[in-house]
Parts: sequence; C-alpha cells; structure tokens
Amino acid sequence: MPGEVDTDEYEDVWVFIEQHESEAAKVSWELLQKGRELADEKGERLVALVMGEDVSHLAEEAIERGADEVLVVEDPIFEPYLPGPYGEQFSELVEERKPDIVLIGGSHTGRDFAGRVAVPTYAGLTADCTELEIEADTHLLLAKRPTFGGDAMATIKCVEHRPQMATVRPGVFDAAEPDPDREGTTTEVEAAVGEENVHSRVLERVVGDITDITDAEVIVAGGFGTEGEFGPIEELADLLGGEVAATREAVEEGWIEAARQVGQTGKTVKPDLYVAAGISGAIQHLEGMNDSQTIVAINDDPNAPIFDDADYGIVGDLFEVLPALTDAIRDEQEGTA
Amino acid sequence: MSREWNIVVCVKQVPDADDVSIDPDTGTLNRSDAEAVLNKPDYNAVETALRLKEAVGGTVTAVTMGPPFAKAVLEAAVGLGADDGILLTDRAFGGSDTWPTSLALAASAEELDGDVVICGEESTDSSTGQVPPGIAAHNDWSQLTYVEELEPRPENDELVATRDIEGGHEEVAASLPVVVAVGFGMNEPRVAGLHRKIFSETEFEPEEYSASDLGIEESVGLAASPTSVGGMDTADPVEREREMVDSVDELVDKLQSEGAI
Ligand SMILES: Cc1cc2nc3c(=O)[nH]c(=O)nc-3n(C[C@H](O)[C@H](O)[C@H](O)COP(=O)(O)OP(=O)(O)OC[C@H]3O[C@@H](n4cnc5c(N)ncnc54)[C@H](O)[C@@H]3O)c2cc1C
Ligand SMILES: Cc1cc2nc3c(=O)[nH]c(=O)nc-3n(C[C@H](O)[C@H](O)[C@H](O)COP(=O)(O)OP(=O)(O)OC[C@H]3O[C@@H](n4cnc5c(N)ncnc54)[C@H](O)[C@@H]3O)c2cc1C
Repeated sequence: MPGEVDTDEYEDVWVFIEQHESEAAKVSWELLQKGRELADEKGERLVALVMGEDVSHLAEEAIERGADEVLVVEDPIFEPYLPGPYGEQFSELVEERKPDIVLIGGSHTGRDFAGRVAVPTYAGLTADCTELEIEADTHLLLAKRPTFGGDAMATIKCVEHRPQMATVRPGVFDAAEPDPDREGTTTEVEAAVGEENVHSRVLERVVGDITDITDAEVIVAGGFGTEGEFGPIEELADLLGGEVAATREAVEEGWIEAARQVGQTGKTVKPDLYVAAGISGAIQHLEGMNDSQTIVAINDDPNAPIFDDADYGIVGDLFEVLPALTDAIRDEQEGTA
Repeated sequence: MSREWNIVVCVKQVPDADDVSIDPDTGTLNRSDAEAVLNKPDYNAVETALRLKEAVGGTVTAVTMGPPFAKAVLEAAVGLGADDGILLTDRAFGGSDTWPTSLALAASAEELDGDVVICGEESTDSSTGQVPPGIAAHNDWSQLTYVEELEPRPENDELVATRDIEGGHEEVAASLPVVVAVGFGMNEPRVAGLHRKIFSETEFEPEEYSASDLGIEESVGLAASPTSVGGMDTADPVEREREMVDSVDELVDKLQSEGAI
C-alpha cells in the first residue's frame, strides 16, 4: 500500500481521451469542456491523454477542443483497448507526472479502465458524477453524484490522496466545440508496457456506427410495453425529426441497439420533448431523462410510476395512442403549413 | 492442464430500493428500516458461477463483506447452489470505499486459491461498478467487465467472454485467474430448490474472516479509503405538471402551447 502523498506536488487536470479504431468517443470531448472549466478555476493546465496505435491526429483535435498539452502514447500494444497495458501505462504516467485531477468517460471502456487504474495509483475514484466543481478554499474537487434514484446528491471528496478521479456518463456535459486557432503542445511518450502486462487478448471486435442520441431535441422512447414493436415509436420520432430510444429492458430483449438505452447505465439525455411509451418509470430509467424539458407518458396502467414524473400523461394502449398522436401532429403541421 | 476451477462469487447486501426513503424533516436518507436484500445483479453472477461449475467442475464459494447480518446473502447464494459461503466481517472494514472493499475481496479470492471471481455489474445502492476491476487490479489478475456470454476453455486455462462495448461487442480471451463482472440481465437466474433453501437457512454457517485473518487490517476501513462522502443533499426534484389528458388532440394543444412541437 502506497504511503502518504504530498498533495501539493500534484497539479493539472487530465482527461483520458477514449478512442476506438482511432476515433474519439464523444464523451471525451464532453470531459475536455468540463476539464477546461476546472483547470481555469484552479489556474492550472488541461492535459489530454491519448493512447493507441495511430492516434496523433487526435492530439490536434484535443488541442482545438481545449487542451493545453496532449500526452500521446503510440504503440500497437494499445490497440484495441485492454485493461492490462492501458492500466500499466497510466500508472507510470501518474507516478511520473502527478496529475491532481483525472476525468474519464463513464462508458464501458472508461469504467473498465478507471476501476483498474484507481487501485495502483491509490486514487479516489468517484463514479457517475453529474456535477464537478472546485471547492473555493481548498481547491479540492467536489464530485457530485445522484444516489438513491436521484432523490439525493452525494458530494464525494478525496482529501489526502491523489489523483482525484471521476467518471462521467455520456451526455451529462456538453461537448467542447473545436477552435482551429487554439494552440497547445504535443508530447510523445514512450510506451512503458511489456507482454507481462497483457493478461488477455481480443479475438474479435464487431462495432458498427455509433448512434448518438445525446444531442437529440426530441426523443420517443419505448419500453417493455412495446413487446418489440417499435414501428409506432419510429413513426412519431421521424415526424418530429427526433431519435428513438429505449429502456434497458427493451435493449436486453434485443429489440433495439444498446447505444439507444437511456438511464443510469445508458445515456443521459435532455431533449425538449421526451415521449415515454410502454415504460414503467423505474428510477434507473428516470435518472437518464429527468432533465428533459417536457415529458409525455403513454401507459395502459393508470398507476404506472412514470405518470408522477411526466408533464402530460395519457392512459391507453400505446399501439392506439401513438399512431393517433402521430396523425394529429401531422394534421396540425399540414394545416399550418 | 485441464483441472477443476475454484470459482468465487461476490455477493453484496443492499437495502431494498423500494424501502429507502428521505426523511422529509431532516432531508437525510432513511435506510435503516429498509430490508436488506441480495443485490439484484448478483443473481446473474451466482447463476454464471453455477453454470461455470456445471461446465468445468470445481466449487462455487460465495463471499460477502458486510456486517454480521450480511450472512443472509450468503444463505441466498448457498440456497441457489453455491457450495460454501465466506463472511468478511470486522469493525475494521467499516466505512470502506471501493479501494479497500476490492482489496478485502481480492485477498479472500487469493486465500481461496480462486481461479475465477464472478461479480455483478454494479450494486443497486452505490452503483460504482468499481469493485470488480479493483479486485483484478489488487491481485494483478485479468478482468472482463460488461460480460454478456462466457465460454470456459479449461484446456487453455482461459475464459472467453463476449463483452458489450459502445456500438457493438468484442470477444476477449483472458488467462486465469480472472475477475468477471457480468452484465445485469445476461442470464435467467434459477430459483432455489426447496431442500437446498432449507439447508441454507437452517444448517449452513459461513466461515468468518476478519481483516487480520487476511493480513490487511492496516489497509481497510475509513482511514484507508481515498474517498469520503463530504455531504448529502436532497436533490431538487424537477417540477412536473403531472397532468392527465384524455385525448391526443388535447395533448397536441398542450404541447403546442408549450412550444414542444
Ligand atoms: C443496476 C441496474 C441498472 C439499470 N439501468 C437501467 C438503465 O440505464 N435504463 C433503464 O431503462 N433501466 C435500467 N435498469 C432496469 C430498470 O430497473 C427497469 O427494470 C427498466 O427500466 C424497466 O423497463 P420498462 O419500463 O421498459 O419495463 P417494465 O417495467 O416492464 O414496464 C413496461 C410498462 O409498459 C406498460 N405497458 C405494457 N403494455 C402496454 C401497452 N400496450 N400500451 C401502453 N403501455 C403498456 C406497462 O403498464 C408497464 O408500465 C437497471 C436496473 C439495474 C438493477
Ligand atoms: C452515496 C454513496 C456514494 C458512494 N460513492 C462512491 C464512489 O463514488 N467511489 C467509491 O470508491 N466509493 C463510493 N461509495 C462507497 C461504496 O459504497 C463502497 O465502496 C461499496 O462497499 C462498494 O461499492 P459498490 O457498491 O459501488 O460496488 P460495485 O462496484 O457497484 O459492485 C459490483 C459488484 O462487486 C461485488 N461487490 C461489491 N461490494 C461487495 C461487498 N461488500 N461484498 C461482496 N461483493 C461485493 C458484487 O458482486 C457487486 O455486484 C459510496 C457510498 C455511498 C453511500
């Protein structure tokens, strides 16, 4: 067990740039934006960390999106992601460069990585933060996360250990816009990982286009009540120029791709309009959508908990209500056109 | 090389979510009257462990860290078919965050000469999902998280997993010993057989380990935890209209007047 650390030796805010096949996960840019705010508040630098085989172009993009410095570690051992080599390299970097704060995306890859690296670095790691602030007098990171179904917010601190680490689910913060005029430095770091750090190997990887529902202004979501028939959901979403989303239950059933899952273990969305059809309103689902502007619930059970968290509710069969709603909106649109 | 596997399954006791309430006067969480239950995702972990044993042979040992009454979740696991249960209980463990929690579980997996450690995706109370990779890191073992399918390859001392990743999935072969976190809902957990259930509740007694039994008394508990809960606020609930409408025309009117469509 590592001993006491001198917290004054640690400075700068780091963001782990998650990338797959040389393409950055959007959550990394979301964290760069938040990291910029935190670094400015502390008067420190924002450093992006990029690991992979062919990733130097991501360094430029990270600078355009707010990084002062980008650490690039290029080696075939880092493609695709594996916790052993990534964890070992990260521990080395932390030991050598002593970051004060490290932000990591709360995707499956990010959580796999964060949980692995927090142990050897003896970092305080807070999961699924929805607010990150710097405490005025201490300059400590205040990592806030919803707990007990969003009824409460816990503030987690890491007072005596460094780095202070946090994961954030995709969609919680807005992504940084690139500014081609921004300047920063790129530092190439030699890979410090050997075969002894590789405990596993990827046999196959099947990744399609990654759908992004986090920026949608309208979302029509279906749950177990759709019984797998998403047609009426898609029609309404199409008419409103929105995205289709779903509960975890519907994803588990294989009715819809996982990238469209909303909730605690899925995406966080904040559209202007969220229509929930055949969704009961479990706390884990609400956590991903209760910042939506207007929520409409359609459920055939008048006692479904979703009605308590909706602005407007209709009790009825979604297979009747949704098509009628789509028709009524289409009529309205044509009438006013 | 083929041999039977020592399978360890980590099970956590959590307050029944439906029973947790906020005290309206103090704004604090009222967990004390909540009934303690087995973390729901851990049913998938127990099921996975039992199926691995059926495929490869060996034993399944359930481990929990918690207060003495956490014994109940071990009974649940033994009732489902686990061969034995270990209770990690000690005042010294109190206030542990994920760093020492995963250390205690890692040390017991080592003590049990574990080949495979199976965990749930995350707990339903603090839901960090950090404990499984933490266990792997403490022991420098391989890790497989967000697992949807598992295929044992005892002839290679390997476990092959299909992992759910952003936009798709990947197949990964990990060398033993390995820590696995299975996706919530990845299998249909079995129901406990009546005889086994009665045995677990009447005859089964877990072995207890203290922090010093595991030689980690200096590295657990509140003092060894890098994080601390610095405060708990009731979240401002989003105000909702909660208006029931009778027809889609009425709904369209409402949405139009709000500018939502
Ligand atoms: C660790 C953990 C993490 C989780 N993470 C998430 C997450 O990220 N996202 C998530 O969504 N869930 C998550 N869950 C699952 C969550 O607890 C619920 O099980 C899930 O959200 C329920 O999905 P549902 O509403 O589609 O299904 P159900 O709860 O089965 O509800 C279906 C609803 O449809 C209604 N219905 C049925 N037929 C019709 C019809 N014809 N017309 C209208 N209404 C109809 C029913 O009345 C019912 O209310 C998680 C659970 C755990 C334990
Ligand atoms: C409101 C609140 C917020 C918290 N936030 C954080 C935080 O952000 N970071 C942090 O480090 N700590 C945090 N903690 C402390 C955390 O609750 C404990 O470390 C906890 O014992 C383990 O974390 P978990 O429940 O998140 O486990 P998870 O990692 O979510 O659990 C995954 C799996 O690990 C196994 N497992 C976990 N705990 C045990 C156990 N005790 N016995 C047997 N198996 C187990 C189970 O198989 C479980 O399914 C928080 C506590 C509270 C009350």
